[in-house]
Amino acid sequence: MARSTSLYSARQRRSRVAMVLSLVATLFGLGWLVLILGVLVYKGFGGLSLKVFTEMTPPPGSDGGLLNPIIGSLILTALAVVIGTPIGILAGTYLAEYGRHERLASAVRFINDILLSAPSIVIGLFVYEIMVAPMGHFSGWAGAVALGVIVIPVVLRTTEDMLRLVPDTLREAAASIGLPRSLMITRIAYRAASAGMLTGVLLAVARISGETAPLLFTALNNQFGSMNMNGPIASLPVVIFQFALSPYAEWQKLAWTGALVITMTVLALSIVARLIAAPRKSS
Amino acid sequence: MPPERRRSVADVALQGRDAVTGEMPARAQVIDRLRIGDAAFRNITRLAAIAVLVILGGVIVSLVIGAAPALQAFGFNFLIEERWNPVTERFGALAPIYGTVVTSLIAMLIAVPVGLLIAIFLTELCPMWLRRPIGIAIELLAGIPSIIYGIWGLFVFAPFLQQHVQPGLIALFESVPGISSLFAGPPYGIGVLTAGLILAIMVLPFITSISRDVFDAVPPMLKESAYGLGCTTWEVVRSVVLPYARVGVIGGVMLGLGRALGETMAVTFVIGNAHKISASMLAPGTTISATIANEFTEAVGDLYTSSLIALGLILFLITFIVLACARYMLLRLERRTA
Amino acid sequence: MNVAAMSVPSVVHAAADPAELEDKVIIRDLNFYYGDAQALKNISLSLLSNKTTAFIGPSGCGKSTLLRVLNRMYDLYPNQRAEGEVLLDGEDILSAAQDVNLLRARIGMVFQKPTPFPMSIYENIGFGIRLYEKLPKSELDDRVEHALRRAALWEEVKDKLSQSGLSLSGGQQQRLCIARTVAVKPEVILLDEPASALDPISTAKIEELIDELKRDYTIVIVTHNMQQAARVSDFTAFMYLGELIEFGATNRVFTNPAKRQTQDYITGRFG
Repeated sequence: MARSTSLYSARQRRSRVAMVLSLVATLFGLGWLVLILGVLVYKGFGGLSLKVFTEMTPPPGSDGGLLNPIIGSLILTALAVVIGTPIGILAGTYLAEYGRHERLASAVRFINDILLSAPSIVIGLFVYEIMVAPMGHFSGWAGAVALGVIVIPVVLRTTEDMLRLVPDTLREAAASIGLPRSLMITRIAYRAASAGMLTGVLLAVARISGETAPLLFTALNNQFGSMNMNGPIASLPVVIFQFALSPYAEWQKLAWTGALVITMTVLALSIVARLIAAPRKSS
Repeated sequence: MPPERRRSVADVALQGRDAVTGEMPARAQVIDRLRIGDAAFRNITRLAAIAVLVILGGVIVSLVIGAAPALQAFGFNFLIEERWNPVTERFGALAPIYGTVVTSLIAMLIAVPVGLLIAIFLTELCPMWLRRPIGIAIELLAGIPSIIYGIWGLFVFAPFLQQHVQPGLIALFESVPGISSLFAGPPYGIGVLTAGLILAIMVLPFITSISRDVFDAVPPMLKESAYGLGCTTWEVVRSVVLPYARVGVIGGVMLGLGRALGETMAVTFVIGNAHKISASMLAPGTTISATIANEFTEAVGDLYTSSLIALGLILFLITFIVLACARYMLLRLERRTA
Repeated sequence: MNVAAMSVPSVVHAAADPAELEDKVIIRDLNFYYGDAQALKNISLSLLSNKTTAFIGPSGCGKSTLLRVLNRMYDLYPNQRAEGEVLLDGEDILSAAQDVNLLRARIGMVFQKPTPFPMSIYENIGFGIRLYEKLPKSELDDRVEHALRRAALWEEVKDKLSQSGLSLSGGQQQRLCIARTVAVKPEVILLDEPASALDPISTAKIEELIDELKRDYTIVIVTHNMQQAARVSDFTAFMYLGELIEFGATNRVFTNPAKRQTQDYITGRFG
């Protein structure tokens, strides 16, 4: 009896230790989140003012704002969404609706998953090779295309997943009144999956808002506030990159503020995306 | 009397038709019209799907073409050469490859156990009402852009390590044979270890979220039968949950590894950018992505640029293999539970 | 239309008077496969115009499979195929020349689980109508009202036509689906266990509806509820393991079945 008791208490102890460790791990993980966000707010909040959104980037050593990189980022993001979303939705539709048993669909699904997690700097190199090198100069268009290539897999994946959730009985009901496939998809299935598909787009936007590497050698950077898409164009992440590594105090401060702006935008988008998708889960 | 409602696709198709005889005979004509659009839609979706394949093909082809000059000039030696000298135009990928592998390894060594523990907490211990908020909070870590990790790493984390942690590490392992060389050298703050640590924080949420999903998928009856035998929570996790979820967890780990290998901005800020292989983890080094990010726009000369693209090709191939394995694992899991 | 067009095996038409009734649908030597597995074996029977025919039998006997052949629903799934003939008004609907969408406009279907479209109640009905006909709003309103009345739903929803179809109760949703099917003006209506997901009161309403709809349409209903089949149908087909065991007037099949198996099933010996 004594032996089994001590064995039992040893097992209990082990379990308790494991559970405590798991709690510690969670606090550890959450701690980093708090730390990073905390520092971000601490260092960036002070510089947050209307000026940031209304004035252009200053030359070294003087004060200014982040207007042109913000606008640049907005333009690049919008273009990337316009380029990538239709392809992503249509391809995702193919995988979910037409390609359930076809080999092409399995291949595309596999490749898409690879592209989804592929290093974004490689995407930047790819667009450099196909656009910047032949054109002879950096351009905003190249940057938009690079971001668009990153958007496609995200939107494709969510579109396919969401369309697959639409029950087959709904499809059969549409077929039973003689609805052809394409109309069944566009009028019924898209409608049923619309919340999820919107989530996909929001997640894609959140993802590309913070991407720096693919822009480094496509859109590059632009000091002079030029909005000409045919040439290098400023974007928030790249400007942060440049300013943070510079020796100028004002630039570094702007870098922190810009970092805060990007992070808040990305987090807000993620939370909104989750809320839109959530009604399914909550009861 | 003009129609007062919204026009639908069928309306457009019926344009010009006589509304009076819109009965059975016209129906066939409507369906005929719709049939063309139907085939067109199907083909467009097919084309979009093929576009994805084309993109991947394009990536590989463009990288190979761009890397060709360097590969031709250096051949296989490119992979084992440590020197990286733009002046003499001798380039070797060994240092970046080493840095990429070591930083990712450090990241995984930390992120996998911690991530699994967090997943265990969330599925076994955490009160119901807290599960969603904490889960979301951990996932926010994944949402923070990597450049943020970069500047945070450079201005906050690295100095902290330099002042408070690294001297301690150096002193701790000074007299231990073998390991002392791993932790030797002046405490720069930045370096391979720092980069690995930051990568660990970035990869953590991936491991957690995938592990959590697979843990949740364990049938409750299976766990209940283990509890019914008198198992402690830890024993249930170790003997039932983990084995059941093994394939999925491995898939998630490989996915995280793929992420770590390709991570650019965070690493670029804190790794020190030295094309050197040092024994010490506290020394600066470089990774493939950091090298490309730092040097590409300044690369002068075709061989330089081509060498950088060759690095990109190597990185892509490594991540491709890792991600393909991850996909394969997760596919096996799906098939088993389907 | 073609009563004398072919000879049907003697197992069918036990006590019905063929001269006064028309065959709307004639099924001849129908075989059906899911991949390599055969689900229907040499089915031959006729469905008569403006009558209700019930398919009954234990789970897995193929009654739903047979129903779904009639509007070629299996076409949506690549590894399912049918061989044989199914004549709708004399034309073989299984042939490749048949336009499937046109067929489905003529043969409508109501499913086991109510499946309203993710639209308003009005739109659920109007959607199908607008697909084929270009109508001014007032006429469309009339058609929608007409369909909802035929489904005995008008009084309950006339004040909330713009609300989502999903906001209705289960029984109401099912009647909405019936209204939607009726709105497209089919000739045959297929019902796949339409009341199995509903409470007894909704079920009774649906059964009343079927009785009325018979006046204008040919009805085929699959049901696992024998009492329902006895209440609702004029003709009954009993199926077992993919074969048609017996087919005839409902009264006769239930009171004086010709086959032993039929009797065993009806009396609850198995099932």
